[in-house]
Amino acid sequence: MTDSGAGPSIGPAAGLGAVHRVTNEFEMLGIVKRFPGVVANDGIDLTVRTGEIHALMGENGAGKTTLMSILYGLMPPDAGEIIVRGAQVRFASPIDAIGHGLGMVHQSFKLFNMLTVWENVVFRAEPRRGAFIDRAAARRRVGALSERYGLAVDPNAIVGELPVGVRQRVEILKALYRDARILVLDEPTAVLTPQECKGLFAVMRNLVADHRTILFVTHKLREVMDVTDRVTVLRDGRVAGRLITRDTSAEEITRAMTGRNVFFEPRKASTGLGEPMLEVEALTVGDGEKPLVAAAQFAVRGGEIVGIAGVAGNGQSELVEAIVGLRPHDDGRIRVAGHDVTAEPLRLRRRAGLSYIPEDRAATGTALAASAADNLAMGFHRGAPLARGSLLDRSAMRTHARNLIKRFAVKIPDEVTQVGTLSGGNLQKVVAARELAHEAQVVIAEQPTRGLDVGATEFIHRTLLAQRDDGRAVLLVSSELSEIMSLCDRILVMYEGRIVADLAANDADEAKLGLLMAGAT
Amino acid sequence: MTVAAPRRWFQWVLSPVPLSIVVGLVLGAITMAVTGNDPVEVYTEIVRGALVGPNLIYTIGWSAPLVGMTMAVALPLRGGLVNLGGDGQLVLGGLVSVIVALNMPGPGIVKLIAALIAGIMAGGLYAMLAAWGEVRWRVPMLISTLLLNYPAKNFASYLVNFPMRDPANGMPESHMVEVGARLPGIPGTPLSSSVLLMVIAVVAIILFDRRTVAGYELRMRGLNARFAGYGGVNLDRQALLIMFSGGAMAGLVGASIVLGEQFRFTDYALVSPNYTWTGLMAALLANGEPLSAAIAAVFFAALQIGGFGMERATSIPRELTSVLQAIIILLLASRAGLRRRLRLGV
Repeated sequence: MTDSGAGPSIGPAAGLGAVHRVTNEFEMLGIVKRFPGVVANDGIDLTVRTGEIHALMGENGAGKTTLMSILYGLMPPDAGEIIVRGAQVRFASPIDAIGHGLGMVHQSFKLFNMLTVWENVVFRAEPRRGAFIDRAAARRRVGALSERYGLAVDPNAIVGELPVGVRQRVEILKALYRDARILVLDEPTAVLTPQECKGLFAVMRNLVADHRTILFVTHKLREVMDVTDRVTVLRDGRVAGRLITRDTSAEEITRAMTGRNVFFEPRKASTGLGEPMLEVEALTVGDGEKPLVAAAQFAVRGGEIVGIAGVAGNGQSELVEAIVGLRPHDDGRIRVAGHDVTAEPLRLRRRAGLSYIPEDRAATGTALAASAADNLAMGFHRGAPLARGSLLDRSAMRTHARNLIKRFAVKIPDEVTQVGTLSGGNLQKVVAARELAHEAQVVIAEQPTRGLDVGATEFIHRTLLAQRDDGRAVLLVSSELSEIMSLCDRILVMYEGRIVADLAANDADEAKLGLLMAGAT
Repeated sequence: MTVAAPRRWFQWVLSPVPLSIVVGLVLGAITMAVTGNDPVEVYTEIVRGALVGPNLIYTIGWSAPLVGMTMAVALPLRGGLVNLGGDGQLVLGGLVSVIVALNMPGPGIVKLIAALIAGIMAGGLYAMLAAWGEVRWRVPMLISTLLLNYPAKNFASYLVNFPMRDPANGMPESHMVEVGARLPGIPGTPLSSSVLLMVIAVVAIILFDRRTVAGYELRMRGLNARFAGYGGVNLDRQALLIMFSGGAMAGLVGASIVLGEQFRFTDYALVSPNYTWTGLMAALLANGEPLSAAIAAVFFAALQIGGFGMERATSIPRELTSVLQAIIILLLASRAGLRRRLRLGV
């Protein structure tokens, strides 16, 4: 983008033109933040130049969230200083940070869904005429901002009726309306289709062309390679790498993040198909014109991974919940290992051979306030060796937990530690360890690597492939196309509750899937 | 937790319950000093009034129903269910057991056992009615348990004022239960053997909580009901059973007061001592953990009985102990905020 000559915004390597002067938009110097038992930030220096897109990367628990919270005034650092455009600042709250030109787009949007776009954008900074809100001026300003940066948002639309990608742009508008010079985007692509991502990147380029600065927090290597100028990588609370995007590679960034080499192996095809282990016939959830799941029909055989691709919220969760028995269905049949479980409760479906790694590991997959031993016992607690009759054997529970912790390399002090203290990746390992230890014929994994870092993602992927190679049937639901493409033998696409495509892995490419996910036929 | 982490003593002191009690006692001492009393003397009298000589027996006697009513709340609360219907379940338990004891033919011991079982069943089924309303009709138990207190209490009032009234008596009371159908006393004390029933019940509940499959499932439900359901627990069935158990506990308390101490059903006698609401507080303080809840209940019983002793020995009204109780409860209720302030972690 610097090559386009759109303005004095400067990529590091473009500084050769002597006319351009490199200025720092903000610096965080020697930031230290300690929590009981951990040093979350251990002397971090982050320098972001005016008009660049700067990626902040790192595995979970590397300290990204803490650093962002400090930058945005949500918590004070224990040591270190923040300098914005040459002046040292101290933010007591996000209001101070906003006052200094910071804007944050959070992963979960903070919007009033019932209100219009312009009402959301001007909230708490409304243009007034006397005691009244000057609606015309508000609409005009919001419309003008949207047009200027190519956001294409109708100021009069109701936010709740907009697609996720557009809602995210409303968040960006909110920051721009307050004249944010520095935009912090926290994992902004997690909820977007590939097409929407492209749109977002175009917007980001427009913003830096206007001398604004973007700090882009993400896990996704390819996006970093595509859109950023420089990269700062955190590991264990310290800076593990400062890289110039055009001079680096995905492998180098990964090495900085994990401290080792991670190989992205090409997909190994399934070695042999077995019997259909999970059969879903005409499964419908909800009624009326637009059911949540409309007559879903598919089967998963032993020895294959079937993926369900789709933008979050197109009925995947409802489909999976109906299959496992967490949600009633209105029509259709479900067979597990040849056994009709349609009328059976969840416990019996599990016994027939289902195991389930749910989308939300904190809300469904674990009890955060309970120990690892308690969490890992769930589902094993009704029989030997963990229980004799109706009595629990607590030492057997602990042994069971210790074995699984070891087998899945969960980073946890001991089995009596509450799982709520674990990082996302380790919590997911707890869930995966428990579910896979059931050795069920059918494994349903829903967004199993959401929010996980490269190392943990790789671990989960290897584990799922091993399940497949053991002859189990794996159903993988993911809104991450690269995950679907690299693991699945067959790919279903869900759009508005329907399965709109059923493709062999070799027939699918990212562009085709992206279009199907967006509803094109 | 079934599996408790090893803790050092200072961590224990800083854990919510002891911390709140200590801070509460200090604030209480300040209150006394400000009102011109000697805190040391007052606390000495409270302790003397609760624990020394015959006072200890009174404290035990007062503790038994209080601990029972604490369990009636704590058991459902362990699974995240709130039972505000203790009064109704208690009254029905007492009422039904008196009706059975007065009308059942046969020898005394048969009457006694039948009356106890009937009281337990009455309390249990009445609580289960609220659970059924929530499971089947989505009527929140928080409301239904509370509202179901009124029909139970008023129905009992009507019966002892009219059809069941002992006309020889000026009070709205039933006839006396025959001597053979009463719970025996504990020899050498004025206590009824219902104290032993309560001890057995509490021990059973603690073992249930820590050692059984159903206790584990209940605890997991309390920590995350969705997780329990995901693990295969039938949440509806569990709600019905656990509310039955809570109500049964209240029914047992009602039956044992009536069969062991008063020997008749007197209007308001079961609800006026406020066992239900003190028990509710003890259970909430302990988050439903049965051992802590029982300890909290005994502590409140001692505080209340100690208040009588203090009132006799000093010029301070025993309402002071209610103030102390209130301060401790407020501190505990704010524990999340307190711990954050004190940087004790989550």
